[in-house]
Amino acid sequence: MPPIAYIDPGSGSLLLQALIAALLAVPFIFRRTIGGFWHRLRGDAEPEESASAEVVSSDGPNTSDH
Amino acid sequence: MTPGEASSGVVDPASFRDPGGYIFRRDGVLYRAIQPVAAADWSAFEDRGLAAELVGAGLLVGYAPVSVDLAPRPGAALVIRPRELPIISYPYEWAFSQLREAALLTLEVQRRALSAGMWLRDASAYNVQVDAGRPILIDSLSFEVADLSAPWPAYRQFCKHFLAPLALMAHRDPRCGLMLRDFIDGLPLDLTTALLPGRTRIGGLLPHLHLHAGADRRAQRAEIQGASEPGATQSRARPMNRTRHEALLDSLRRAVEGLNLELGSHWLSYTRQTSYTEAAAASKREIVERMLAQAGGTLIWDLGANVGTYSDIAAGPGRQVIAFDQDPAVVELHWRSLSPEQRASVLPLVNDLTNPSPALGWAHTERRSMLQRGPADVAMALALVHHLAIGNNVPLPQVAELLAHAGRRVVVEFVPKEDPMVQQLLAGRRDIFDAYSLDAFRTALDEWFVTMDEAPVTDSLRTLFLLERRPD
Repeated sequence: MPPIAYIDPGSGSLLLQALIAALLAVPFIFRRTIGGFWHRLRGDAEPEESASAEVVSSDGPNTSDH
Repeated sequence: MTPGEASSGVVDPASFRDPGGYIFRRDGVLYRAIQPVAAADWSAFEDRGLAAELVGAGLLVGYAPVSVDLAPRPGAALVIRPRELPIISYPYEWAFSQLREAALLTLEVQRRALSAGMWLRDASAYNVQVDAGRPILIDSLSFEVADLSAPWPAYRQFCKHFLAPLALMAHRDPRCGLMLRDFIDGLPLDLTTALLPGRTRIGGLLPHLHLHAGADRRAQRAEIQGASEPGATQSRARPMNRTRHEALLDSLRRAVEGLNLELGSHWLSYTRQTSYTEAAAASKREIVERMLAQAGGTLIWDLGANVGTYSDIAAGPGRQVIAFDQDPAVVELHWRSLSPEQRASVLPLVNDLTNPSPALGWAHTERRSMLQRGPADVAMALALVHHLAIGNNVPLPQVAELLAHAGRRVVVEFVPKEDPMVQQLLAGRRDIFDAYSLDAFRTALDEWFVTMDEAPVTDSLRTLFLLERRPD
């Protein structure tokens, strides 16, 4: 925990957050990559959330999101 | 510097929780001191360009660095002077859309912070104010360097302060926003899920509210049974990464954007209901405009504003109006009816004059009451006195006293018993209001005010007064 964290994040909240973030990451990446690809294919302007490679290939310890 | 009595600086009683810094006033000017423990995060906040980006985008209140010697307590690392906002409002006074915009602002700030390798270390709705019609973050000290392998510490606070009340307002009743008065650190998640309809278990509210409440409950049970040693959560594998943080944020944004408050058609017809003729309406408008011009001043409180017909008239160049109404649905309608330009000078807020926002929090010092945030330069009370006196049994002398605390000058309308609107109020009850008359009202006002102008409204039985409070 950061040294000056002053709100109680709640241990249950932290566990749940990690769990749902892992689950949410799968459709999130899908939307960004496939969605971006689809838009490029149709020649649309790139949606703002579309992926940059740097963001998708996260350098976090859990790279098994894909 | 010789810190004399007047200029020694007074620490704001609402900023005691954060060890990273505090707010203080010196010679009437607002400052924020940053303590050594938060100095590294503050440097990162500025050096990475995040501060400039957020201020530039109008998402964070601007500030200027000033001398650290201004701090009233020893040991501050630095002091900044934030731009002070003219109006302070609280989440329990906001309409649904105002709270929703504040939630989206918080998420947008968090998104930009993540891009800079930082995050919000708290997500309190009290860190947001409505400034010139737009939500703005006022806590410059909320940022810290993120450990992206760890969960976001402010996730639960975001859900309690924003998502829970918004969900209840959208799915149950807009009046649920008032529950934030009782729960000053956001709505408890277990209570929220108990009150939400079952259909909210499908969709974006399932993880962030329903499952979240369950996880909280299990964790509390485990703590009571001693099943989890302190620090157990922290010592687990690093469960997050940048993508997961972004996915969580994206999901929260979708959950907030998926919430909409639908107001039935009866609201739309109700609010336009008046009893007077076109000639009377034109006369009233003209008198109000004249009296406001005579009254001068820059901050106007419109008490009992309804959908703000007269607030919108009162707002003009150099004038700010707060339009108070007791009904959250009516305040929502008013807010929705305003253009961005109008929002810059009219702020609709929920407040019931028969039970106005109290002073709240620790020792009643964290959130100021409605009247503590006054008086306004001008308080306007149109078609209100009969609701207080007859609808709520408040004696006229006490109505006059309240007006005297609300504004230095007052524009007030008296609606006599013979008026159809008062007849409507009396229809279902015995008339116990012998003391309700124009003469009695004049006498009540005289206790507190000098009458600058008195004018009957053409083609009606109503009278308008322009008053100035007597010196104490």
